[in-house]
Amino acid sequence: MQRAVGSLPLGPALRARLAAAGFQTAQELLDTGPCGLSREIGISKEEALEALQVVRQECSGDAARTAGGAGTTRKCTALELLEEEQAQGFIITFCSALDNILGGGVQLTKITEVCGAPGVGKTQLCMQLAVDVQIPECFGGVCGEAVFIDTEGSFMVDRVADIAAACVQHCRLIAEAHQEEDHQKALETFSLESILSHIYYFRCRDYIELLAQVYLLPDFLSEHSKVRLVVIDGIAFPFRHDFEDLSLRTRLLNGLAQQLIIIANDHKSAVVLTNQMTTRIGQSQSTLVPALGESWGHAATVRLIFHWDKSQRLATLYKSPSQKESTIPYTITPHGFRDVQPPAVTQNTESTEMNPRKRPRREEEK
Amino acid sequence: MSPRSAPCPTRCLSARQALVAVRRVLLAQFSAFPANGADLYEELKSSTAILPTGSPSLDQLLDSGLYTGEVTELMGAPGSGKTQVCLSIAASVSLGLKQHVLFLDSTGGFTASRLYQMLQAQAEDEEEQAVGDTALSQLEALQRIQVARVFDVYEMLSALQEVRDRLSQQAVSCTGPLKTVVIDSVSAVIHPLLGGRQSEGLAIMMQLARELKMLAKEFSLAVVVTNQVTRDSSTGLLKPALGRSWSFVPSTRVLLESKGAAWEEATTRRSASLAKSPRQPTGMQVELDIGNSDVQEPSPATPTEGL
Repeated sequence: MQRAVGSLPLGPALRARLAAAGFQTAQELLDTGPCGLSREIGISKEEALEALQVVRQECSGDAARTAGGAGTTRKCTALELLEEEQAQGFIITFCSALDNILGGGVQLTKITEVCGAPGVGKTQLCMQLAVDVQIPECFGGVCGEAVFIDTEGSFMVDRVADIAAACVQHCRLIAEAHQEEDHQKALETFSLESILSHIYYFRCRDYIELLAQVYLLPDFLSEHSKVRLVVIDGIAFPFRHDFEDLSLRTRLLNGLAQQLIIIANDHKSAVVLTNQMTTRIGQSQSTLVPALGESWGHAATVRLIFHWDKSQRLATLYKSPSQKESTIPYTITPHGFRDVQPPAVTQNTESTEMNPRKRPRREEEK
Repeated sequence: MSPRSAPCPTRCLSARQALVAVRRVLLAQFSAFPANGADLYEELKSSTAILPTGSPSLDQLLDSGLYTGEVTELMGAPGSGKTQVCLSIAASVSLGLKQHVLFLDSTGGFTASRLYQMLQAQAEDEEEQAVGDTALSQLEALQRIQVARVFDVYEMLSALQEVRDRLSQQAVSCTGPLKTVVIDSVSAVIHPLLGGRQSEGLAIMMQLARELKMLAKEFSLAVVVTNQVTRDSSTGLLKPALGRSWSFVPSTRVLLESKGAAWEEATTRRSASLAKSPRQPTGMQVELDIGNSDVQEPSPATPTEGL
């Protein structure tokens, strides 16, 4: 219990008083007891009792960890993590090129950021992911629910309905091609109504509502434990206009990022954020860079940048801990987010034949 | 400890003697004694180890590797390869030296499959003539790397405290010889606390700094931390985050930069330059490739000395 008093989560005024009174380690605090403590540093007995409870909690947490108990700590060997990662699923995007450069799809327990100019398809990808996360496991999905936090008001329900209908149709075609028991059973629950009813939609109008929503999200997620995706569409929008104090903005964003990574880790869900682009004016030329500043760039684990090249939409993987940087083309069809089609093949045959990612996974499950 | 002044002379004398004795004890316990330079050198030679980072050009930059007893910092913009270099260090120490590594991850960027890739690549490089199963040695290497996910500065402090307790109790069975602590992104947990008018963030940061230095010095560990960069509002240049107070904590600072100008050019080549070092001239630069398999150099790197 030799924890230094400065490293305990107490208020700064209390810490200053403890330091002035000569307390060095947590053990001394625990030995003094609440009455002695309130006498020594001149605080009320209730405050002393509260402080000692905090100290006791920290120290008992330490002791449990030293004794080897697991508790709520997130400590394991790399081997266990490797096994966990290999067993984890991905959320596919229906664009196989994008899934390939991401290493299988959007990864759970990580924050993925999608940046792009207006109109390039960020919200479309978010809506596609909110539908794709619900694909049953026998079709290669993770069978989870989705939380959609909207700050820009760009969520169109009829568009989601179109995407969901196309997804259900796709799964139905696969089930018909491979006549299997669990496919039919899964199809019964996987319908348009069930997809729409498992997307939880929140609308936040300014940054305070957004912060409050994110800090209240753990309680919501512990009630709805099947949530596997949290989408925040437009994290830049509330923080960019009408914010005078830039250092406050950086602090709030960093705190938000840490909270999101805790959510992603504890609930095993993927967090997807969309960001805007801004212009950085350099010496000779100006470039488009993601908004919200340099320090925000460290918040996301995986960063995708969507941009235009004449009339072709391209996606670049800019930052990833396990995949190489690369660029692929994609397109947005009435059915949603898709690969760029070679012009000769029609949509229907493509969905039954050329979807090599889905086949191997089901064969493994046999 | 504070003897009261007594009325009669005999007790007064004994009180003074007691004071003198107490003073002697205090001096013996708390004052610093001068040490012989030669003794100090011998002690350093026997207790300091130099750990390879898994990349020969980075070793060259750091004067043959990571020194135990010191804090080394890697800083860079997002996507510059800090996590990759940390994974490479963990892989090299665990596989090459067969020692335990503690990895504190505060950003969620630790990917075990990438670490496994690096281990495989390093095993191929070193031992072509190895007997039997390299796969088993890779799995053992994975087991020697302990990963703790700490997303809050207090959790990080408790994790470090736990390391200190375990090392001082000499519990050898579970930890084994722990020589390296890698902290991926110390700035991710401290940055939200800094700034504004309260100085609490600075106090916590200094507490963390003290813990790291104490761990490094007392138990001869090599501590590697990663830091972010921010943009200086007046000059527009990139500078390391966490400010001036933190800049005194690490003894060596390496800046990682991407070779391509912007995100439009995708490249796996990075350049590492020395920003602060007690042994080498600053301004030395080498090239790294955080490619598919390993952090290695693409071609013989020529260190450019100069300021």
